Amino acid sequence: MKNIYTIILLLSFSSLSFGQLLPGTLDVSGFPNIVESINDLVMEAGEDANTVGFESNIDASLISFTLDPTVAPILGIPLTSSALNCSLNIFRYSVYMHTQNAPQNVEIQAKTTMNSGVRFPVNILYDNLLVRPLGPRDLTPENGGGYITIPNNGNAAIKVFEFVGCRQDIPIQFKVKASALAISGASNFDIFYTVIGSIL
Amino acid sequence: MAWAQETINTNILNLIVLGGDQKSTGASIELLPIAIIDIEPETLAGAGGGAGAGTEAGLPPPSSGGADLSNLWINFTHRAQNYQPARIYVSTNQPIPNGMKIEVQITQTGTGGNYPKNPNTNKIRLSQTEQVIVYDFANGYTGDGLNRGYHITYTISNSKTLPAGFEVIYRIQ
Repeated sequence: MKNIYTIILLLSFSSLSFGQLLPGTLDVSGFPNIVESINDLVMEAGEDANTVGFESNIDASLISFTLDPTVAPILGIPLTSSALNCSLNIFRYSVYMHTQNAPQNVEIQAKTTMNSGVRFPVNILYDNLLVRPLGPRDLTPENGGGYITIPNNGNAAIKVFEFVGCRQDIPIQFKVKASALAISGASNFDIFYTVIGSIL
Repeated sequence: MAWAQETINTNILNLIVLGGDQKSTGASIELLPIAIIDIEPETLAGAGGGAGAGTEAGLPPPSSGGADLSNLWINFTHRAQNYQPARIYVSTNQPIPNGMKIEVQITQTGTGGNYPKNPNTNKIRLSQTEQVIVYDFANGYTGDGLNRGYHITYTISNSKTLPAGFEVIYRIQ
């Protein structure tokens, strides 16, 4: 039995994979609490209040996506760690966002910056290859890194950024543009992140 | 430059096949109430400011030159606190000389904006006592400038010299 495990491990280590997508896990931390201050308010009577807008911290949420450890079927014995799977299997990931139960007459926007977050693992063999099929393990924001309006509808989640390889601690910043028609006070809602992998 | 981000329907995805995952996090936003008002054109007329934000509303009229009393417009932006409807009040900061009568009336509603329209269209004889010139209204904004909000017309009878620093005050609350 031990020999069988050894063979499986050797096969796993034998080459980098760009083929079949492997299961991964998305982690989201941080509770964005975006507060309008007196300086954020419209100053010209008659104008709508959404001409100004106000922002969260640049790292109001941190998101990470890593491949799951490989476990032997039935026996449940760990075969390869998440770090090893992320080293040997490089895919492209697109991140889509939408909200649920966001208040009416409020526009919620999100963004991250070019190459934000940290590669996981930080250095791997792939980074030194002369030919990297999916390019460098970088993060590329949509809209040139500018804010993107997040729909309050899971039927139309919008792409905010993509990255190659596993990545951790990607900061998300939010901006709120609230109309005068919106209700004052605190409103709670949910922000959804959906990651989709690709071999291309 | 135009950007067009991809969208997906997350309700029909098989994330296992797609090598992905989905998570959510709670979030909250906190919005302040707003109540600001001014009289346009700004260079000709002043108005009393409301609570909630600093603005040019509240500045007195310029000391030189007179207002074009035939083309004045009330602009406001209002976001209620605790769903409390707002009103607009009008008054003067000093007594009007004996025998003189100044009346103000909303004569027209402008275009643009998004607000509940509930004006008091009667002539209001001005005094230091506040009177309602716009009845209860909920959140909204009139748009900025002339032909936005409410057009007001002054009628002055038995005109006399007004005391220095005399102001007509509009207050939103």
